[in-house]
Amino acid sequence: MSYARPDVLVETSWVAEHLNDPSVRIVESDEDVLLYEQGHIPGAVKIDWFTELQHPSKRDFVTKEEFERLMSEKGISNDTVVVFYGDKHNWYAAYTFWLFRYFGHDDKKLKIMNGGRKKWLDEGRPLSKEVPSFPKTVYHAKDPDPAIRAFRDEVFASLNRSDRVLIDVRSPKEYTGELIHMPEYPQEGAQRGGHIPGAFNIPWAQAVNPDDSTFKPAEELRRLYESYGITPEKEIIAYCRIGERSSHTWFVLTYLLGYPKVKNYDGSWTEWGNLVNVPIKKGPEP
Amino acid sequence: MDRQAQIEFLLDHYENPRNRGKIEDPDITMSWGNPGCGDVLTLYLKIDEAERIVDISFEGEGCTVSQASASILTEKLQGQPLAYAENLTPDDITNWVGREITFSRPRCALLALDTLKIALKEYRRPHPRPLFPSEGEGSKG
Repeated sequence: MSYARPDVLVETSWVAEHLNDPSVRIVESDEDVLLYEQGHIPGAVKIDWFTELQHPSKRDFVTKEEFERLMSEKGISNDTVVVFYGDKHNWYAAYTFWLFRYFGHDDKKLKIMNGGRKKWLDEGRPLSKEVPSFPKTVYHAKDPDPAIRAFRDEVFASLNRSDRVLIDVRSPKEYTGELIHMPEYPQEGAQRGGHIPGAFNIPWAQAVNPDDSTFKPAEELRRLYESYGITPEKEIIAYCRIGERSSHTWFVLTYLLGYPKVKNYDGSWTEWGNLVNVPIKKGPEP
Repeated sequence: MDRQAQIEFLLDHYENPRNRGKIEDPDITMSWGNPGCGDVLTLYLKIDEAERIVDISFEGEGCTVSQASASILTEKLQGQPLAYAENLTPDDITNWVGREITFSRPRCALLALDTLKIALKEYRRPHPRPLFPSEGEGSKG
């Protein structure tokens, strides 16, 4: 069994051969906000989730117009093949991939470098501290795609529905409610610990090989999700704390396993755990 | 400090950490971490009878911001009165680490402060804060 869309993954060797390919833009997106500055794949641009992709005031992403402006500044056109990579098993790379899809970049031109930054480094490939600049482009984004993003009302409507499955991809202790983020940090914290009733706990990193950060084989991934009854005909909503880890699971289900109806609930626990009068389940059971 | 200078300042602390390692016979050892993103930190402090921090160090793993902030914090606290450490606020860290960086990664930037506060709370159990400050530590009036 192979991946449903094997073309969305490129290997480090492929990237090494396309460093100077003008039709390819390599994009580093990290959880560690200062990693790119310590050295990156030569020619790669940085896309910073915190300063470039978030709306400056409300809790949302940049607007379509701001996304177009950002693409122009990064030298990305609608025809550019964009290859994402990053730290921590491509966690934020998948998040950025998801947002590019959200704004309608042709997904035949979106790729993730399998193994991410770790594999590139482990193979002794070169890094550069030089920040490249590219000629500005004209970029036309599409309206945001509601088919890949879930909001809270939809999540609420999914409770107790057998045709919809919720996946909580956080760590087991966050799922059970043993850990919540500390109250000193209200911008990322939650008032309550636990999980959305009915959600299965499948931590996102179970989809990768920890030694080299590459994705696990398709058969293994399918076994993992099917063991929870998560099958392609169902509507699936993945969530975590703020929607970044769950975009990794969204990527795995959508592109590696070919599940057609998968959404990322980016409001995630920092929204649900703060909502008034919504049900919350504590403990290890869904 | 502009953004670029702030980034270079942080990278210097990350690549050349101050006070990294374990100190001998610490009076306080405290480990703390951020669930989810994998930042972990252990702080070691030595406190003298006058309640002054005579040595402080850290060990840890995690992102650049969390480890650089720990290095900055320990540098600022060497030789300071315990009361100074107890009165530190997230604003102080923001001023040292940089507002933009703290805003983008608050939990990482504040992990060292958080660990310190928990450590000092533990220390205070058997060492209650004096009701009246000792000579030289109170108000000058």
